[in-house]
Amino acid sequence: MAGLLARERIVAGPSFNRWLVPPAALAIHLSIGMAYGFSVFWLPLSRAIGITEPVPCPESMGFLGTLTATTCDWKISTLGWMYTLFFVFLGSSAAVFGRWLEHAGPRKAGVVAACCWGGGFFISALGVHLHQIWLMWLGSGVIGGCGLGLGYISPVSTLIKWFPDRRGMATGMAIMGFGGGAMIGAPLADILMKHFATPTSVGVEQTFLTMGSIYFLAMLAGAFGYRVPPTDWKPAGWTPPSQKSAMITSRHVHVDLAWKTPQFWLLWAVLCLNVSAGIGVIGMASPMIQEVFGGRLIDLPGVSLRELNEAQKAQLATIGAAFAALLSVFNIGGRIGWASLSDYIGRKPTYFIFFALGAFLYTLTPYAGRIGSVALFVAAVAIILTMYGGGFATIPAYLSDIFGTQFVGAIHGRLLTAWSAAGVLGPVLVNYIREFQLDRGVPAAQAYNVTMYIMAGLLVVGFFCNLAVRPVAERHYMSEEELARERGVLEAARAR
Amino acid sequence: MTRQDRPDEPSPGQWGLVALAWVLVGIPLLWGIWTTLQKAAALFR
Repeated sequence: MAGLLARERIVAGPSFNRWLVPPAALAIHLSIGMAYGFSVFWLPLSRAIGITEPVPCPESMGFLGTLTATTCDWKISTLGWMYTLFFVFLGSSAAVFGRWLEHAGPRKAGVVAACCWGGGFFISALGVHLHQIWLMWLGSGVIGGCGLGLGYISPVSTLIKWFPDRRGMATGMAIMGFGGGAMIGAPLADILMKHFATPTSVGVEQTFLTMGSIYFLAMLAGAFGYRVPPTDWKPAGWTPPSQKSAMITSRHVHVDLAWKTPQFWLLWAVLCLNVSAGIGVIGMASPMIQEVFGGRLIDLPGVSLRELNEAQKAQLATIGAAFAALLSVFNIGGRIGWASLSDYIGRKPTYFIFFALGAFLYTLTPYAGRIGSVALFVAAVAIILTMYGGGFATIPAYLSDIFGTQFVGAIHGRLLTAWSAAGVLGPVLVNYIREFQLDRGVPAAQAYNVTMYIMAGLLVVGFFCNLAVRPVAERHYMSEEELARERGVLEAARAR
Repeated sequence: MTRQDRPDEPSPGQWGLVALAWVLVGIPLLWGIWTTLQKAAALFR
């Protein structure tokens, strides 16, 4: 079995079609992308004991007691910790195991990711069966989170090596899958929970088992579809871009050195700031449109959200959910669109657009709210979300341009800690600023304005970080001997 | 130029496999996008 996963077993033959690699990567990314859709389980899990209504835990029960209690239901806020675990373990496992991945190869990494992600669902099913939330946190949060990190970075290096002529498009296709995973997984989970629900069960346990099996098989299929190109493989007739642009190197920086360069930390800041701004909007999209426009959304201009009756508020909630759904489509569209465009206009100009246009659009949204233009508001936020997705999808290609392709998977893994940081920074900024505004008596419809200006400010900082990115200093590049030695280690690993 | 002159050229069978692989990932993705767009349609009603 170990031999089957070994890197030397997946070196492609001369007639291998490189277009087989993106769907393999998509199979993995579409599976792990379900992490975004986990909230679909919160409501049914919050009444796993009571079935029709949640059974609250007694006030006297401490935090540890609620973790192991089998007689009362979990709170949604307790379940929501899963997201924090997902993104913390995604970032840290990608950072820790990226170097291993470069040696072990994408297939082995993909299989380990499948075991972690699929296995995490099985452990979570046991957690639901025994009603032990710590088992769910351990299963899907910690073990599944490690599967997320490994699965996320598993195809990056391979795709960049197969598509040196279209690095952005290739990684954009895979990373688009991570954005699209919840679009498949959330409605599928909904269908399965309805199918498995009985008078004594909310159906989540069986849904976890079913989805864990589906994801395990899909990810295995993806991992076994991976092939790596022979060393120094190039598409027929292709000229390396390093001969045309100083911002694209044909040399390589070692992963252990890359993170000590200013370029790494500038790109870390670029990703962190772009993601922080986007995450903030994603998290508040639904309440934001409802609070900013209130009754205007249902042809009652001038009526605020508070003044609406329950039926009208339900209508607005539907519109809020529709807005969030629309944004997710723009998010995945931006991943493939912007990343592909970056192949033509360059990575640095692409991020300049993200930061300049993004900052402009963030400052435009309060204006759209003031003049009551729902269309302008929706369009601005939708474009912002394309750039949020585009930021994720373009960064691997940017890294390979700056640091070379030899260790791009491992370097990308370390850079993803910026995502974990943004996952904390973005929502904290948005929520605290909004609450601070409301506490000071600012009307709900205007409470987002300051947030938007601060997001625009973050993007302006990002603009200057991107501006400061220059090619790596000559001394950081690996010498021919070091590169040969590194490739020798790889060859030795292959021979084993 | 024939295929024998270009050993790096994928065989026609490989293109069939490529199409199958894309269909296998494309159908669920398109279903997911379609479902999401149906939900998003409420915004325009």
